[in-house]
Amino acid sequence: MSNAPDTVARRPVRLLIVDDSNIVRRRIERSQQFDDLQVVGTAANGFEALELARRTDPDLVTMDLTMPQMDGIECITQLVRLKPAVRILVISALADKATAVEAMERGANGFLDKPFTDRQLNEAIAELMY
Amino acid sequence: MQLSGIDRNRRLLTAAAGIVLAAVMSLVLIIGFRLATQIRAGVAMLQQASELETYPAVVAEQLTALRQRLDTLEYTGRVHAELAASVSGFDRDFGALEHQRTLDPAAVRAATRLWRSYAPVLAPVLAYHGEPYSDTATSSALSRNGRVFYAHVRRAELFAAGHTAALHRELATVSGALQAQTASAAARLRLLLSVGVLAVLLLGLAAAYLQLARARGEHAARAAEEQTRDILATVREGFFLLDADYRIGAVWSQALTHLFGRSDFAGLSFEELLRDKVSPETLNTAMKFIKLLWGDRAHENLMKSINPLGQLEVSMDSGRGGKETRYLQFDFHRVMGPGGVKHVLCSVGDITSTVLLTRELHEAQENAHAQVDMMLGMLHSDPLQLGAFLDGAAASLKHVNAILKEPARHHGEFSKKLGGLTRELHALKGEASALNLMSIAQRVHHLEDMVAELTSRSELTGNDFLPLVLKLDELLAHLRGVREMTLRLTALKEGPSAAGSADSAAPSAAGAVGTGELGTALHSLARKLAHDHGKDFQLTLNGLAECPSAYLPTLKDCLIQMLRNAAVHGIETDGVRRAGAKAGAGQVRVDFRRLQNGYELLFEDDGAGLLPETLKAAAVHKGILSPEQAASLDDRSALGLIFKPGFSTSEQVTMDAGRGAGMDVVAKAVYGLGGKIGVSTHPGRFTRFKIALPAISETAVA
Repeated sequence: MSNAPDTVARRPVRLLIVDDSNIVRRRIERSQQFDDLQVVGTAANGFEALELARRTDPDLVTMDLTMPQMDGIECITQLVRLKPAVRILVISALADKATAVEAMERGANGFLDKPFTDRQLNEAIAELMY
Repeated sequence: MQLSGIDRNRRLLTAAAGIVLAAVMSLVLIIGFRLATQIRAGVAMLQQASELETYPAVVAEQLTALRQRLDTLEYTGRVHAELAASVSGFDRDFGALEHQRTLDPAAVRAATRLWRSYAPVLAPVLAYHGEPYSDTATSSALSRNGRVFYAHVRRAELFAAGHTAALHRELATVSGALQAQTASAAARLRLLLSVGVLAVLLLGLAAAYLQLARARGEHAARAAEEQTRDILATVREGFFLLDADYRIGAVWSQALTHLFGRSDFAGLSFEELLRDKVSPETLNTAMKFIKLLWGDRAHENLMKSINPLGQLEVSMDSGRGGKETRYLQFDFHRVMGPGGVKHVLCSVGDITSTVLLTRELHEAQENAHAQVDMMLGMLHSDPLQLGAFLDGAAASLKHVNAILKEPARHHGEFSKKLGGLTRELHALKGEASALNLMSIAQRVHHLEDMVAELTSRSELTGNDFLPLVLKLDELLAHLRGVREMTLRLTALKEGPSAAGSADSAAPSAAGAVGTGELGTALHSLARKLAHDHGKDFQLTLNGLAECPSAYLPTLKDCLIQMLRNAAVHGIETDGVRRAGAKAGAGQVRVDFRRLQNGYELLFEDDGAGLLPETLKAAAVHKGILSPEQAASLDDRSALGLIFKPGFSTSEQVTMDAGRGAGMDVVAKAVYGLGGKIGVSTHPGRFTRFKIALPAISETAVA
């Protein structure tokens, strides 16, 4: 699962990365190994994420939960309202399962615990998109 | 579930067999009835036919009898009437026979024709009536009519004699045909009955087979049911199905009873199952999670990863009236049907022992780390010093034990007990820290926490002290372990490799053995305190060798406490010192001097000093003073507050300061030796403690 399966002439997966840490954002962008995955934007908080989602129409959003201004849970809620088809991968240090359940209820599709390995990241993306 | 389908088919088959059986039986009975009617009619006819067979002979005989009677001039009336009856009976019976449609018409026709040929000759005979004789007084003779009648009779007699055999033969043929016909009907009836019996037998067999099969199926179903029941009764996990209303199904495993202390699971909602056992927040999360299981985004792995009930802490009735904490592990598996999720299979296990074991393991690891730390600490300390500490600690704990055992009845007594405990433990912790025996210091700290918790309670009973006793036992066991290790280390150190120098740290104090150890211990404590609190200071010790050994234990306690106070409260952090234009590292000085009429100890740090206002505020906060009292207090009296029991200015309780037991212990110890203690300070510059101790006449310093 470390690589994307054969692609049959389809639109590349458009990825929006949301995390308040630029280190994590870079890490996600650098570590993904899919040929047909295109990073269409990176956001450092919920407001930016929603604005970018409006403009770039992403298929997949990686979402941090603890961010300044607008946190991940609220952002997921609004994002799903804005783009019902978007798939959301929560990448966060999930301290408690209650938060995960909450995120899932609001519309998250998958979870990846921080810290993560490249392999875990790619598997999580593959599970959601391929 | 599969069994019921087979069952239904079998039931249908049985019903069909029953219907066929009934139809066949009805058919057989109807045909049989008709055949029987036919046979009865046949038999009746046969009887008629065999009766008819006798008629020709009877008619012939009667004609002969009539003729003989005419010959002998006898009375002919009766015979004539009999003949008429026979002929009319013959006519009647024949008529009936002719109307019998089942008979061979040819045979009947032949007989009829023959019988009809009788009619012309019989008619005049039967038509005659009257007396055929004419009597005179002497003789009788046939009258004229009589002679005609005689001629008719004679003709009929001859005709009958000529035709009786033939007619009898024809009638025998008819009777034979009838017999054959009846016999065949009887044969058919027999056949029919045989077929009926066979059919009944076959259907009976089929029914019996079906019944047997059904019984076998039912038996298998019962056995399967029993096995299911056995599994559910034996399995250690709790199993049940949740329906779309989050309610528990009718089938659940017996282990649930034990896990949840109830048995009314069927129809119980998941929410009701957990209510009162977990916090409302946890329950809320759990219900959200359960709802998500029915959604289309809920993949098994995903749901497993966010399962909030993977290690659920529940509080259960212990069965002895109290509550106990247990850990349950819930696992959820979705059971898919054609229309999506049909049920959610939920398994529950009690993982309390696993959780506790993991925790124990973790603690054991921590302990092992602490022991390694302790061992390293011991390697750097003097074995004699350690021994002295352990003796002191044992004595101190004995004292603690004694305090615990003191009878107490009302709140005041309990408070007094707790006060005593606090001071004793605090001193012990200080010494342990000084020797870097963190495993001991931590345990004592824990005990102090428990005492502090008890102190904060408004109501106290003797039972509240029980946990303390247990913890104390544990500490004593630990101390024994430490002592054992010390002995082993001593043996190791005194081995061939360590024959040379045993003194690793500061070999400055070469005087009395006790004071040398004390110096080492204080330097070690100073380094540790500096490191722990991020402070930079130097400790200078002067004249400790002058201290008589009788004062040494008290002096040690006091110095440890003051050193800790200085490190925590006195010396400022680097930043603060630089802002206050103070020179680099802080300085803590200890001067011990022998005076003419006793001894004097000076303890001074060049730290922040004591602010009377801060001390007063702290005393008000602690409830030692009322605001009015505080306001009227002068600066000098304010400084004296630090010697009050329970006083501390540090908001946060750390290992080294903040519990409020400190200077009051020091003061008490000094007073105990008949000494005095005083404090002077300059805010922002220094704090100085001066302790005066009386002379000891008989104890000379070596």
